[in-house]
Amino acid sequence: MVLQGSTRKYPYVDAEALLWAGVGPEEQIDALVVSVRVRDKEGRAEARLGRFILATGAVRAVQIDGGIATFRARSKTHFEFFGGAPVVGDFESREADWLAGARVSQGIGNRGAIGASYYFRADQGQRADEEVGADFAFQATDWLAVACSFAWEILDPGLANLQATISAQTKNRKVRGELFVQRRSPVRLLPQTSLFTVLGDVSTTMGGTNVRWRAAPRLDLWVNLALQDAQEDLGYGGSIRGVLRLDDEGKGSILGEARRLDVAMAAWTGLRTAAVIPLYRKVALMPEFELVIPDNPRDAPGRVWPWGRLALQYRPGRGWTVAAAGEASSNQFQRYDVRALARVSYQAQWPRNE
Amino acid sequence: MSRAPNRIAVILASLALLSSIVGCAKILGLEPKDESRPFEHRAHALEGIHCLECHSGIQEASDTGPLHLPSSADCVVCHQEPHDPNPCADCHGRARTRYGAEMARKHLIFSHHAHYEADAGDCIRCHVDVSHDADFLRPSMATCFSCHVHEGQWDTRDCDGCHVELQSEGILPESHVVHDGDFLREHGVQAAAQGDLCTTCHTQRFCASCHGRNVPEIPSRLAFDAPLRRSMHRANFIAVHDQEASANPGMCIVCHSELFCLDCHLDEGIAGVDPARGNPHPPGWSGPPGTSNDHGPAARLDPLSCASCHGGAGQMLCVGCHRVGGPGGNPHPPGFSSRLDMRNDLPCRLCHASPL
Repeated sequence: MVLQGSTRKYPYVDAEALLWAGVGPEEQIDALVVSVRVRDKEGRAEARLGRFILATGAVRAVQIDGGIATFRARSKTHFEFFGGAPVVGDFESREADWLAGARVSQGIGNRGAIGASYYFRADQGQRADEEVGADFAFQATDWLAVACSFAWEILDPGLANLQATISAQTKNRKVRGELFVQRRSPVRLLPQTSLFTVLGDVSTTMGGTNVRWRAAPRLDLWVNLALQDAQEDLGYGGSIRGVLRLDDEGKGSILGEARRLDVAMAAWTGLRTAAVIPLYRKVALMPEFELVIPDNPRDAPGRVWPWGRLALQYRPGRGWTVAAAGEASSNQFQRYDVRALARVSYQAQWPRNE
Repeated sequence: MSRAPNRIAVILASLALLSSIVGCAKILGLEPKDESRPFEHRAHALEGIHCLECHSGIQEASDTGPLHLPSSADCVVCHQEPHDPNPCADCHGRARTRYGAEMARKHLIFSHHAHYEADAGDCIRCHVDVSHDADFLRPSMATCFSCHVHEGQWDTRDCDGCHVELQSEGILPESHVVHDGDFLREHGVQAAAQGDLCTTCHTQRFCASCHGRNVPEIPSRLAFDAPLRRSMHRANFIAVHDQEASANPGMCIVCHSELFCLDCHLDEGIAGVDPARGNPHPPGWSGPPGTSNDHGPAARLDPLSCASCHGGAGQMLCVGCHRVGGPGGNPHPPGFSSRLDMRNDLPCRLCHASPL
């Protein structure tokens, strides 16, 4: 059972929560988000407290129990200070005690910002991560945008993460293309208390392009191609995807996708199709099928691993949604796997905005 | 003798091709399936008909009340002999244009009254697209910004001056942080510098559904009736998750800890720690110095794969061999440096423990 809700009193305070409970081998209940944000009338200072996702600057997104305070000067200089305890997932043992950090950024007109950040994390009282980072985003024109982020590990000095992307679109927005590059060191992203961090750096570098073409008013096509260097092994990955909307409003759609990956120890080809088919007023059918063809299935059962799902959705109105699905698959872990899924959800708003 | 049947075949094939093209054009949206078309605003403007003659009363409209869209009764004031008994709006003007106006009224705080006075009754100054009978007549946000600088509001991410509630409006930005292409990959780097801009539309619940450590179900699983929704873990991801991890090392660690794999594999009974299942590693995986040792490069490339069986990120297992004087040799590569306290911090203290 998932319960979520939000409320706010503009502009001073807003609050939200998402709680879940489940019954399995053992009963569980937990909070994904319980957060309160307060701000002054002009929005020059604000603070968020509770359990939330901390995502700012080049610091990795992390779920914490803690707080973040933001101060915005009229010169477009922003100061952020954060701290708290990382949330421990249900599967995991206690892995960290606390983290703290700060970010300062400078706005560039209304077109972007440049910032620098620092964060420190202690794992069971020991230094686990200490990073400095820089970030930059800039909408150069209405058709060209640039963004990058960079993180440097201090405890075991070296580049932890670098991402950069340039995107451009035609004036009529029919074609949009991106160029991206990414360099990531998995050992430097691990807590420094892992022995893997002293075994040496094997950063991987990836660069590629993504192009979206609105081929027809109801047809969008995407092509994605990336080259990747992992441990002096050059590989590639790519996909082509198309979505055809069945009506002007996009209530019904058909998706087709083909993927190919051949990098390091991974080599497989995938085919996927999915659709949303409005049947009758408030009823819709959602078939979905995927086929994975591994280059080297080793001793795994089957040469191909199919997966399929058929879902039916009914919206009786007044915020109710009822959905049910049947799912079947076969892969290297299970010769066959059949499941049934069902969901009933209700959403209400007060005061009602009819 | 055989020419006549050939000719018939060619004609039939041509008809089939033609009908296919017409069918495709309808499916692709190149040819509208209904009879409606954008309203002929340009023709009316060229006739010198002022906007208020049809949209009467809009000059007094506030941010609530009717939309002041003309009815058939307004049309017949001039078009006294309609060519069709059906309502004019069935064909003249698109339903989605009217729907756009309804959504604008619902989601925006906007007063035509204030703007009409400021613009001295020049509607086309904002509604520039009526001059070429465009489908969508709602001015873009860039048009608003051409007069309203909103410098302070932009800086403090205060969009509520115009937008009733962006989080429920469900509109994608067109002029900044464009959500297009492979935005699933791009959103992280975009959010790095402008994270608080993201929060003007997205709730914490939205971020936590993927980045939360204690997510009960991944979004694509919970929203199984939204198959076109992009997700990291869609469809048969479990079949390829090990290959995805080794192809893009470090990606998993963005959300999952190094113990996630171990705990899940233990939970599923596939951790490989069961001796009855045998050694899962291929020949040449590990051996004395000078022999084939594939496990080293594999471990550095994808540490999580090792951690999925070898607990504690494998550090105790590794130290058994990788220690000075051990068969694995010195674990510190050339140029190694660390600011960890080697006598107190893990993993250094496994070998460099301070003497009691």
